[in-house]
Amino acid sequence: MKKSIALTCMPTILIMMGLLLTPQTGSSQKKLSLSFHHRVGNETLVLDNSYTNILGENIVVRKFKYYLSNFSITDQSGNNHFLPVDYFLVDEADSASKNISLNVPTLEIKSINFLLGVDSIRNVSGIQTGALDPLLGMFWTWNSGYIMAKLEGTSDSSHIAGQAFTYHIGGFKGETNTNRYITLTLPQKNKPQNNIHITTDINHWFKSKSEIRIAQTPVCHTPGALAVKIADNYSTMFSVNADQ
Amino acid sequence: MKERKKIFILLLILATGISWMGINNKYGKPKPVPFIVPKGWPQPVYDFSKNPLTEEGIALGRKLFYDGRLSKDGNFSCGACHQQFGAFDSYDHSLSHGYNNSLTTRNAPGLFNLAWQKEFMWDGGINHLDLQPLAPITNENEMAETIENVIAKLNADQEYRQMFKAAFGDELINTQRMGKAISQFELQLVSSNSKYDKVMRGEAAFILPEQLGYDIFKKKCVSCHAEPLFTDFSYRNTGLPVDKALNDPGRMKITGKAEDSLKFKVPSLRNVGMTFPYGHDGRFFSLMSVFEHYRKNMVVGPVTDTLLRNKLALSNFEIGQLTAFLHTLTDTAFLKDPRFAQPGYEILSKPPADIHQ
Repeated sequence: MKKSIALTCMPTILIMMGLLLTPQTGSSQKKLSLSFHHRVGNETLVLDNSYTNILGENIVVRKFKYYLSNFSITDQSGNNHFLPVDYFLVDEADSASKNISLNVPTLEIKSINFLLGVDSIRNVSGIQTGALDPLLGMFWTWNSGYIMAKLEGTSDSSHIAGQAFTYHIGGFKGETNTNRYITLTLPQKNKPQNNIHITTDINHWFKSKSEIRIAQTPVCHTPGALAVKIADNYSTMFSVNADQ
Repeated sequence: MKERKKIFILLLILATGISWMGINNKYGKPKPVPFIVPKGWPQPVYDFSKNPLTEEGIALGRKLFYDGRLSKDGNFSCGACHQQFGAFDSYDHSLSHGYNNSLTTRNAPGLFNLAWQKEFMWDGGINHLDLQPLAPITNENEMAETIENVIAKLNADQEYRQMFKAAFGDELINTQRMGKAISQFELQLVSSNSKYDKVMRGEAAFILPEQLGYDIFKKKCVSCHAEPLFTDFSYRNTGLPVDKALNDPGRMKITGKAEDSLKFKVPSLRNVGMTFPYGHDGRFFSLMSVFEHYRKNMVVGPVTDTLLRNKLALSNFEIGQLTAFLHTLTDTAFLKDPRFAQPGYEILSKPPADIHQ
């Protein structure tokens, strides 16, 4: 009798043990926070302030947002550790969104790797929640897919209505893919790596691998060659602050 | 020994607790609804495991489908342009009416058999049924509302909070749940009981013109309008000259490829007798004008479909028989099914006398 009760309880015990043990399995974890500092060249970005970009065109930025996802870290021996898949929308207008907290294995980190954008799976799986909720305005409803990064504002160089420039960069299929894998190598100073400060320089949207002049190209709203060109440009916009 | 007994008793309490929770959860759980695939049809492409159909989910979706509050001024529900008596198209309208006296740029297609459809819109730009409502809700010339406002309006309504709880387990209302609920209702819209279906099932027989029409159909139409769904879901250029006011590039808008210029999705011919006008911009007001297009008026260009390079030879006789056959695709049971009508308006499911009220 007792035996049969024990047997009946066995699955319960196993499940409970499993639930209790799951978070503790693997190596120990630590918190790593990433703080993003948005700049135009050397100047701190403030929405609605006027700046001169790297190509000499003046810009006033109204919206600046981008998706980060699929984080992993590389340890000193070159091993890659994937973190649970999560999605973050960094938005200049929301200061809390510029600090990302990650649980990472307690290891000496050589580099942080992530996807600047939203992987194709989330682009083809219906309506998502949280940072990927379409109501956040980073989803194209007429041509399903996420806007990976958005930069909007005005410029005297723009010849369209309201002297606006609007770059909505997206596309996840084949040649039109605008997702970019980013690797940020951390400075090796034997300091505790708990808070990494990252500079995001908007100038790279306009000049990096190629030049995007607002006077000629004030708008990008569809997946395609132009979006890919701009994504290639802004893929270099991140740098780790050396003096942290 | 005492220790073991203690552990034992503790485990027993635990097991009882867990089973009690299990039983308790059964109450108030949404009631599953099976999705029935008509005999001989392919398996649906919609992933029901991600959005299991339930009575509560379907009821919520139906309410949302017919709720004008999903639009900016409260006038335009999904059902306003997708009318049951027109197989859920905009009955007798080439383009649909939208917010602030605007018109859409394309003909509202009928809504049925959506579980078999992978891509939506005439250009296939939308890749999931759950996402589809977000386009008309936010489009300036349709419902002109923001998703954020819609969610806020739903949250402010106690009845909706209760219905979301009944369908999804708690009162959380978000874009995903709204989309899933509307999909649950729309997935119910299966049209498989036309005379054609009855003939295929051996429950009825075609009269002679219908049979002759079916034979012609199988020779000249079926390669695009494939049975049993009466579309192969491909995008094709059928030699429709571009409307200069609309300037609609079709599939090319989505792919950016020149070879997709003026390609549009092959529409299903089910309920075709009720879904006039025809074409992506509703330029053809009758079946006759569609036939005239294919046999005479087509503008054959470099990306016109290879099957239509020499247009489509159709005699007057063939057109007559084809018309007879196409009317066998009208599914009156579907058009009048009270389960699909606006809640409270179940008997009004027929065209009003004056369609402009």
